[in-house]
Order: sequence, then structure tokens, then C-alpha cells
Amino acid sequence: MEFKIAIGPQFEGERIRKDDLFIEFGGPKVKAKAELATIKKMDEVEHGKIEIIGPDIKDLAEGGSYPLGLIVEVAGTELDPDMEPVFERRIHQYCNYIEGFVHMAQRNDIWLRISKDAVKQGLTSLDEIGKVLIYLYTSELPIIERVAVTFITDAQKVENFLPSALDVYKARDERVRGLTEEAVDEFYGCTLCQSFAPTHVCIVTPERVSLCGAISWFDGRAASKIDPYGPQFVVEKGELLDTEKIVYSGVNEVVAERSMGTNDTFCLHSLFDHPHTSCGCFESIAFYIPEVDGIGILPRDFEGASVIGIPFSTMAGELSGGKQVEGYVGMGVEYLRSPKFLQGDGGLRRVVWMPKKVKERVKDSIPPEIFDKIATEEDVNDVDALAEFLARVEHPVMAGEFS
Amino acid sequence: MKPYWDVNILTGTKTARIIEDPVQFAGLIKKATRPLYILGPDTVDRKIGDKLFLKYCLDLAKAGNLPICATAHVQKKMEEFGVQPNSSYDIIEIVNHLKDPEWQGVNKEGNHDLIVFSGVRCDLAERGLATLKHFAPHLKTMALCRFSHPNADFALPVIRKDEKWQEYFASLIANLIGDR
Amino acid sequence: MSKKNKAETLNIITNQVDTLNIIKGEDTWEPVGPTPLPQLPDLRNWSMRLLKTYKPFYAPFCDLCCNCTYGKCDLTSGKKGACGIDIATHQARWVLMQCCMGLACHGAHGRHLIDHLIEKYGEDYKIDLGMQVDVEAPIIRTVMGLKPETLGDLRTAVEYVERGLIHLVSSTHTGQEGNNLDFENKALHAGMLDHVALELTDIAQIVGYGYPTSIADTPLVELGWGAIDKTKPVVLAIGHNAASVNSMIDYLRDNDLEDKVEVCGICCTAHDVARYSDKAKIVGHLGKQLFFIRCGIADVVMTDEQCVRPDVPEEARKAGAALIATSDKISYGLEDVTEKEIDEIVRLVSEEKRQVLILNPEKAGAVAAKVAVVLAPNRKKGFIDTEAAIELAKDCIACDLCSQACPNMLSIGKAIKQFAANDIAMLSETFKRCFTCGKCEQKCPQSIPIVKIMQAVATKERYNVRSGRGPIHDVEIRQVGSPIVLGTIPGIVAFVGCSNYPKGDEEVADMMDEFARRKYIVCASGCAAMAAGMVKDKEGKTIWEKFPPGFEAGGVLNVGSCVANSHIVGAAIKVANIFAKLPGRANYECIADYIINRVGACGVAWGAYSQKALAIGTGCNRWGIPVVLGPHSAKYRRLYLSRKEEDDWNIMDGRTEKMTEEYVEPAPEHLAIVIESKERAMVSIAKYCIRRNDTPVGRQIKLNHYIALHKKYIGEGLPDDLHLFIRKPTDVPMFFKREVMEYLKEIDWKPRQQVGLPTLINTYPTKANIADIK
Repeated sequence: MEFKIAIGPQFEGERIRKDDLFIEFGGPKVKAKAELATIKKMDEVEHGKIEIIGPDIKDLAEGGSYPLGLIVEVAGTELDPDMEPVFERRIHQYCNYIEGFVHMAQRNDIWLRISKDAVKQGLTSLDEIGKVLIYLYTSELPIIERVAVTFITDAQKVENFLPSALDVYKARDERVRGLTEEAVDEFYGCTLCQSFAPTHVCIVTPERVSLCGAISWFDGRAASKIDPYGPQFVVEKGELLDTEKIVYSGVNEVVAERSMGTNDTFCLHSLFDHPHTSCGCFESIAFYIPEVDGIGILPRDFEGASVIGIPFSTMAGELSGGKQVEGYVGMGVEYLRSPKFLQGDGGLRRVVWMPKKVKERVKDSIPPEIFDKIATEEDVNDVDALAEFLARVEHPVMAGEFS
Repeated sequence: MKPYWDVNILTGTKTARIIEDPVQFAGLIKKATRPLYILGPDTVDRKIGDKLFLKYCLDLAKAGNLPICATAHVQKKMEEFGVQPNSSYDIIEIVNHLKDPEWQGVNKEGNHDLIVFSGVRCDLAERGLATLKHFAPHLKTMALCRFSHPNADFALPVIRKDEKWQEYFASLIANLIGDR
Repeated sequence: MSKKNKAETLNIITNQVDTLNIIKGEDTWEPVGPTPLPQLPDLRNWSMRLLKTYKPFYAPFCDLCCNCTYGKCDLTSGKKGACGIDIATHQARWVLMQCCMGLACHGAHGRHLIDHLIEKYGEDYKIDLGMQVDVEAPIIRTVMGLKPETLGDLRTAVEYVERGLIHLVSSTHTGQEGNNLDFENKALHAGMLDHVALELTDIAQIVGYGYPTSIADTPLVELGWGAIDKTKPVVLAIGHNAASVNSMIDYLRDNDLEDKVEVCGICCTAHDVARYSDKAKIVGHLGKQLFFIRCGIADVVMTDEQCVRPDVPEEARKAGAALIATSDKISYGLEDVTEKEIDEIVRLVSEEKRQVLILNPEKAGAVAAKVAVVLAPNRKKGFIDTEAAIELAKDCIACDLCSQACPNMLSIGKAIKQFAANDIAMLSETFKRCFTCGKCEQKCPQSIPIVKIMQAVATKERYNVRSGRGPIHDVEIRQVGSPIVLGTIPGIVAFVGCSNYPKGDEEVADMMDEFARRKYIVCASGCAAMAAGMVKDKEGKTIWEKFPPGFEAGGVLNVGSCVANSHIVGAAIKVANIFAKLPGRANYECIADYIINRVGACGVAWGAYSQKALAIGTGCNRWGIPVVLGPHSAKYRRLYLSRKEEDDWNIMDGRTEKMTEEYVEPAPEHLAIVIESKERAMVSIAKYCIRRNDTPVGRQIKLNHYIALHKKYIGEGLPDDLHLFIRKPTDVPMFFKREVMEYLKEIDWKPRQQVGLPTLINTYPTKANIADIK
């Protein structure tokens, strides 16, 4: 490594305080900003090329906020267009490996800050950042054969670039939203957590994010191609054996094999019958509350006891370790947005309690007619109060919809 | 003979032969077939006169064609002088290897038969030399240190004056050159 | 639990009830594992398995054995003693004796506190460590199979320790154990019992005195002799058992004196009184005892137990301070006045200048406070000024006998000579590395008061240290469990132990800073936590102000006094037990196996001097936690080392239950090692956090730090053993990819499989159940 600036994983999560700030690109004070990773044909990318359109770091006045368009063009014979968002997210990761340089948010919300110390160390040109990005893209992702980076700092030119970026984001979102389990042949599996939950296998589908919340179907797809021997792998979904609880023959085979025979059936969208196993690092828990025949959601960062009087740590102890525990399932919070969310058990209509923070986060995915019927910690603190609440608001569970 | 540091006073019966004469010291090194020179961090932290201790040691290693094991962070300074050590272990680790007669040495040519110590922190060097005295009868140890080491097989007398110490080194180097 | 299991469990329990009456039949919190209340033979195979890889390395401190009337016996050159013992076995026996001393100290400390607290609150007094801590005693649970719920249960635990200690000590008698490895098993056992003692002691004081628990963000405590307000009456507590000084705080509170009397401490009792009262201050670590007493700032010196200088009475008298000894372990030949009335004792001490022994903590506390108030107004105190100090130094004749006597090999003579010539720089540097033992003065033919002269160059700054926080929270464990086991938090590094540093306090602060910046979880305790606080960065902040106090990546924590070290080990156990749901109850081997293979923890005792530190370190080793020691610790005479390329590293793959066939990385490389310089120590610590279970991403991050630290401190190139830790190209850190891949090609490196579930279980005869680790 022959960079003027220090790079390493320890700089992730670094903060640059106001007094230490040299300049920033993007952020709340700047309208014109966006980043984009695009996959090109091999002959369209000149490997190692860094282009700076507009003024460079050293040309900009200290303390200012400036526009930025950041474009990473990659090429490689094995690349597939679905990998673009995965590569784009690496911009965030790689930039944060640089000491004195912080990257926040994504797409057309980006906010990049450079510290005074970094400039003193030699970060006087965006060229340096480009070099680091190119180095890391090619060294971490051998599937990428060519990379070129463009920085646009000229306000007008960023404005010109912005609409094309927005079009790409929109097209990607439509692809994600439109993607269903039925529409694909492959799911992806992850056994990263087997280092502490040896019989756990995570199954990731377009409608079911990993339990940790970190791996979507697209991530799984990219990762399985980038490192075929890595912890993420292809699961041929096979035949649909149960249309209600969603059981696939291919999933079952993989689960049986990778759990060393401990489990042989996964209902992908149910917590009652052969639920998905839970590792230990799940983002939240869906749990059954028998007194009201409903389901509660408890995220890891919720402080204090849940509505059934048990805090996250205790409840997590019940279901972690790669076991199938009926009535509980670990899940990524984003799974709440899935059209198939616990479909076998009644989906969101069966949910009776979740913390306010979660409710706000997934607000637009909850059907408006039940939104106010789901209790939060502000409404109730124990099961008796919950039952009263549910009766008062006429929650579907009280009508015996699921019994 | 009492070593300079009280913490290194021997409680035992088998003590070092004190080699007052650098010519004799050089002779002992020359006699060895597979010597090893262990350099500790005092070579980096201390000077003799105006010159870094390490410079003397590197000159000596060159004159006697001695392979070097750089302990602690000595390698960093050696590199500044353009010299790469033959191996980098910390003092306890190299002593642990030397205990085993079957070990192949830093050059993979068989274990060493003579170990010369310079610049290892004196109390720690004395412990390492004790280990070798008790558990490595297959090799001889030599403390090239002005503070004197009773647990070595061969040690120097306490040398208080810088000039004397410089002279000792100079003579040692002169008597090693060209013979190996 | 199945019926059969239950029957077996009950059977085990009944047996225990019959023999030891310890594990209660109604306890069903977890099935009882294979080794409840382990005795020497029970974990012997585990010890031997560790010792097969990590062989004892002996560095005799003394070639003779003077243990019995047969001696002295010279054990040099393969000679055996009159009793038949050889040098290796004698060293191992010596280490065991030292471990037993350490264990006895912690055990007796715990015993005293528990008896005292039971007398105060009764044996049914509940143990409650707050909302955030459910697994209250991971060590006691795992080792003994006991879940302590009351003070009475803690007494049961200390009884178990006491019982074990008899057997251990007995084996050190002449004509007992005759094999060094068996002595090492006993030393490891002593270390394990020591951890039980640590844990029960700290739990007792947390519940008995209401120390912080279930809080990460504990307050900052003022630190340094410069922070002590000498205009007030000053009471100085020295030692480890805060019972008496805490009682004094009660007295001050009850009499509205808390703001009027300055309470400060040296060594662990200081940490503990600061956990009790936010007004108490910490003078510093144990290395500054003589220095501080001689400053005369303390009006009353109150000693309790452990790490207290035997000459405190003499020094206190010389400084004109009163002395109250409060422990039967340190009675100094003083009259026991425990039965006398408080006012009578105050009169004896303040008017007749008597030094006394008071074995009742409440009484000792009250007397100390009253005496301080009486004595203070008439005492002159403070540091010597530079001019006067230079005058004293002018007597130096440059004989250099002082330097030769220095246990830290400092050039005191030269520094004093330069100081006499008005150049203070060298003496201030020397003072930073000085433990103020006073050996130099004893040798001085001119009787120069060297330690007193040091007052002139000692910093008068006020520093701080975070007050001890007690156990790591269960929720914190759950949050970091996954990144620790995956390896993406590169490690837990614990800076512990005493102040016998080769080059001063800065070294500990520097190392902690380096690892905290690299996002390791950095823990500290005892004197090391204080040393770390005695350094400020360029913005004037100590390490305690710079980093968050949580058990998280980049966090810097002070768990508390020496006995709070149990919480650091406890955290490693909790990763296995809480996060990975490994059955912990009486399941020592499985938990230790989990730690050695999966939890990247490394202890650093850079200034370890005491027998207690040896016992703690040896206890860590039995759990599979490697310990890095500073150069002075070679004088412990024994280390546990492997040889990375020569040794057999084959282990079991728990998934297939087959032995590995390919080379397995030597991780952790050593269990107990002395490293000469802090630079090399940092590189090694990063390496000792590598575990066989690391995922590729985790290994990348760990190797990234190993390589980066190597380049920073050792040399330009790559570490020469790097290839041993790379299983597949995906293990190669992306930041050094090109260089590493070229190197691997050059040495003809071949990829190999990552072991699915690395374990030592079943690689040796054991009752442990391999199914437990799955």
C-alpha cells in the first residue's frame, strides 16, 4: 500500500467534529449530490482512471460545503447488473476506511466530510480517494477486473448528472419491489453464524431478509458469485411443498445437509410449525403471545422488558443457538415490510405489539386499518393491559380471525 | 565476580568464566561452528560514546559473519542501517527454541552451538541465560554485555568506562575480521 | 430435561449433597455438567492437554533449593536435590507455592468480607447485580455448578476454595508431588480457584456496599498525588480490602464530614473506596507508596491487606502520620485495641502517638476519621521545593551504588548528579520509571534521601480514572457476542496487574490507546487502570475521557480492583454461555474450549509483580486465555509456550468429529509469555487475539492489525509467520492484499480448509460432552 493517507478497518465509525472539519461534500447544505456504481462492458472502462471534473480539495475554501457526483464504473466478465447496488454500497464502506474521511448516507443523500488532519497528512486531492477506492475494489472483489472513478465537483455538472442517477435508483427500486419468491429460481443461504450456532442456516429470499438484517437476496446473489466457497451460497428452491406456510423442497434439502441432519423442514413464513432457526445475532424477535393469540415484535435495541415482562436478552436466550423453537423466530426488522411476513400465521394482521420506534420505521408497510390497533410500549406494559387494549381497538385477533 | 546490577547476583554454584581479553573472546566465537548473535533493545536505546550501541553490534556481526536474531523491536532500527536480521523472535521465544537440540536454527542448518547476547535488558537476559544454563547443555552462551552476567558460560567483567567498552569492541571486531 | 437426564443430575446432586453439601437439589437452572465442584483429578486431563501444546518453560531465578533441612541443594547441571527433586520440578513446585499464596490472599480477602457482611446483613441477603446482569457469577457457575443467590451461597463458594487450597499446599511439601506437569496441573487448578475467589469477593462487595453495577458510564475519579487536597485532614488507605475505609466513609457521612475530610487510597482499596464514595480520590498505584507517605500529606495511614509495604509503620512515624492497621493479615506487632472505646483509642493515637491494630472495620473507620481531624491542623505537609532538593543532591559523590541496587536498573546516580547541577530532566524521567522502593537510599554512603528528592520532580497534575464498573452486562455480551466470535471485533485486550513496569506508566496508556483506536475492546483493572490514567494526550485528556466506557468495539473500561478481574474472564464465559447458549453449569472444559478456540481475548499484565497476579494469570491460562507479561515477570520462573512450526496443532473438527489432517494455525500461539518491549508486545497481542474459529472477514481484520502493527513497530516487510494464519485467500486483509499474495506465492503457500468447528474436546480423555459445543 502506498497511499499518503492511512487506511484500515479501525477508522470505520470515526467522527469528524465541527472544529476538525476541513470541507464537506454533499450533506444537508448542498442540493446537488449523488453517487452511483455502474457496471460497464470491459472495453468501456479504462482501468485505474481517475477523473476530477471541477475544483479539487486543495482548490476549495476551508469550512465550505460543496456539490459532488461520485461515479464508480466497474467491469468484469462475471458481473451481473443485480450486483450494482451491492457495489455501490461499498463506496460507503471503503471511504470510511480512510482516516479523516467520513461517508454518510447513500444515493442522492450522500454526505462526505474531510478532516483538517487528513489534509495535513496529504489528502489534498480527490485523486487520493480514487486510488484507495480502486485499490480496494480490485483487491477485495477479484470479480471486478476494471474500475474507473469520476468525481464531479462542478455544481452545474452535478446538476446535469443527478437526473440520470435518479432514474437508475428508481429502476432498481422497482426491480426490488417487483421481485417475489415465485419469480426467482434461486434463494441464498448463509452459514456465517455457524461459528456460534452450528446447526443454523439462514435462508434469504427476495421476500425474506437475513435474520441479522444485513443480507438481502441481492447481497446473497452477489456474495455467492464473488466467493463461491464463502459463507453465502446458492439454494435451488426446488418444489413448493406447502403453499400456505411456504415450504420448498430445495430449502429443506439444504437445511438438512447444512444442519447436519438436525433439522429437515423450514416453513419460511411461520413461527408455529417448523419455524426458521435463529442464530444469535438476529435484529429482532417475533414471538407468540398465547393470552391474546397474537404476535409481538421485540428488537435488540429495545431497553427494558417487553409486553410479556421479559427483556430482549432473556427472550433471545430462549430461541438462539440454531434451534427450531415454536412460537419464536429471529428476524431482520425489514422482514416486517415483506408481503409474505409470517404469511402462514396471519401476517401483520396478527401482530399485536411492537415498540414505537419499529412501528414508525415500517409505518408505510402496515395496512392503515390496523396501524392504530397495534399496541406499543406507550400504550401497554403487561399482557392484561394488552388484552384490554386489543379488545378496545377491536384488533383482528379479538374477533377470532386466527383461531 | 559480582555483576553490575544487584538483581543479577547469582544464587548458585555454576558461574560464568570472565573473559577479560577481547582476543580470547574473539577466539571463542571463532571456534564455534554455528554461532548466533542475539540483539536486544538496549542496542537501540543506549549509546557508547556518541555512537549507537547497535552500530557496534552490527559491525561485529559483519566482522564475524554472525547470523542475527533481532528481538523486541530491534529490527526496525537495523533496517534503517540497511541490515535485515536472519530471524525475528522475542528473547523468550528464541531461548525456547534453543533449548531443543533438534531445532534447525535460524538458517535451518542445525541448532546453534554458541549464543552471543548483546543489549537484552539485563534482568531478562539473565533469566534467559539461566534457562539455557539448565536446559540447553548442548550449547554455550556468551554475554557480550558491559554489566556482566553470571548465568552465561562466558561473560565480560563489569566495564564502567565508555572508552574501555569501545576498546573492547574494537579489538573484538579486529580479531574476528576475515576469519570466518 | 429428559427423565434419564434428570435422574442422572439428581444422582450427581445427591452425591454432592452427601459429600460436600453444596449444590442444592432444587437448583434446576441448567442441567449439571460433567465436573461439579472439580477437585484436582477432575480437570487434570484438560490441564495436560493444554500443557501438551503449551509446554512449561522454566527460567530458574535461583539454582539452589533451600526448602528443607536436607539443603541447601544445588540443582545445576542435572543434579537432583537430597530429596530427589530436579530443577524443573522444583521450579514448578515454586510456581505452585506462589499461586497458592495469591489464591490464599484473594480467598482470605473474600472470606473476611463475606463473614463481615453476613454479620451485618445475614446469610440470606440477596445477590442482585441489577437489571443488566442476570448471569451474576459466570465463573462460580461454570466451575462449581453453583448459582449463588445469597451471601450464604458466596460463603459456600469460599469454602470450596478453602478446601481446594489445603490439597494444593500439601503437595508442595518435601516428598510429595514429583512431576513438573502435575505441579503445573495444580498451579492451573490454583489459578482456577483463584478466579472463583476473585468473583465471590467482588460480588460480595458490590452487593454489600452497593458499588456500581449494571451501569457502564461510571463517574471519573480524581487521580494523582497532585489531586489530594492537603488543606483538609487526609486519610490514606493502602491495600485491597475496603471494609474499614468504607466504614470510615459511613462515619463521615453520618457526621456530616464527607466534605471536610479528604479520603484517598493507594492500590486496589483506592478503587473500591472510589466505587463507594464519589468524593474519595486515588493517589496512584502501589509503586508510589513510600513516595506518598514520605510527602507527609496523609495525616492518618490506614492499612488493610495485600501489597502494603512492611515498613509502613516506620515510614508513617517518620512522616508524623498516625497509623491504624486493620487486618489480622498485617498486624505489624501492634497492640490490638479493638475492644477499647473509640475515644480512648483516638486519645492513644493522637496524644500518645501510638500505632494501633483495630480489627473492627466500623471502629477503625471512626477512629481514623477522628484522629485525622485532630492531627491535621498541627501538621506541616507537602512536597519539598526544588532548591532544597538540589541542596540535598549536592552530597552525591557519584559512586553509583544506588543505580546498581535499583530493581528497575535505572541510572539513578547519574540522574541525581545531573539534578545537583540544576538539570532536572533526567531525574523526572527516572521518577516516572521508579517504584519508590527505596533500595537506592539504603546503599547511599552519603545517606541522600533520594525518594524525597524525587518529590521535586514529580508531576503535580491532577489526573483521572473511571470508577470501577463491575460486571459486563448480559446485553452488552449479546451485542458484541457475534462480532467477537466471528472475529470482526478483533479482540478483547485486558490490561491488568501491578505497577512493576519496565519503562513507566506511559507504556500501559500507549498500548491501551493503540488498541482502543483499532476498535478492540479494551478492559483494565487495578493498578494498570490507574497507570493508564496518569497520562494525558495533547488535548489534556486521559484515556478514560477519550473513549466510551462500554464493552464495545473501541470501548475502554475499568472493571474495578484486582478482584474485579473476574468480570473480564466472566465476559469471555458469558459469550459462550449467554450468546452461544453453551451449557455452562459445571461444564468447565467445554467453556474453556470455547474460549480458546473462539473468543479472541488476551490479558496483558505489563507490570505484574505479585503472587496474586501470577495466580490470576495462571487462572486465565486454564480458561484458554493467553497472557502477555512484561520483562520483570520472567522472574515468576515459568511460562507456557508453544513452538508454532514444530508443534502438533491438530485438533478436532467438532462437526465431523474427526481429527484435522491439514496444518491448523497456531492460535493462540502461547498461553503465558514475557515480551521485552511494548512495541513488540503490541504486535504480539494482536496476533494472540487470532482464534481458529475466525471467519474469513474476522481473520482479515485481525491480520490487518497484526500486519499494520508489525510494520509500525518491527519492520517494513510482513511478519515472517503470517502464512501460518492464512487459510484461504479470503483471509488476506484487503489493505495488504497485493503484498501478501506476492509473498505467499514466493514461499509456495497452499490454501487449506477452515476447520468447521475447532475443538480440543475428545482429542484427550474427557467426560466433557462434545455435543455441548454444537
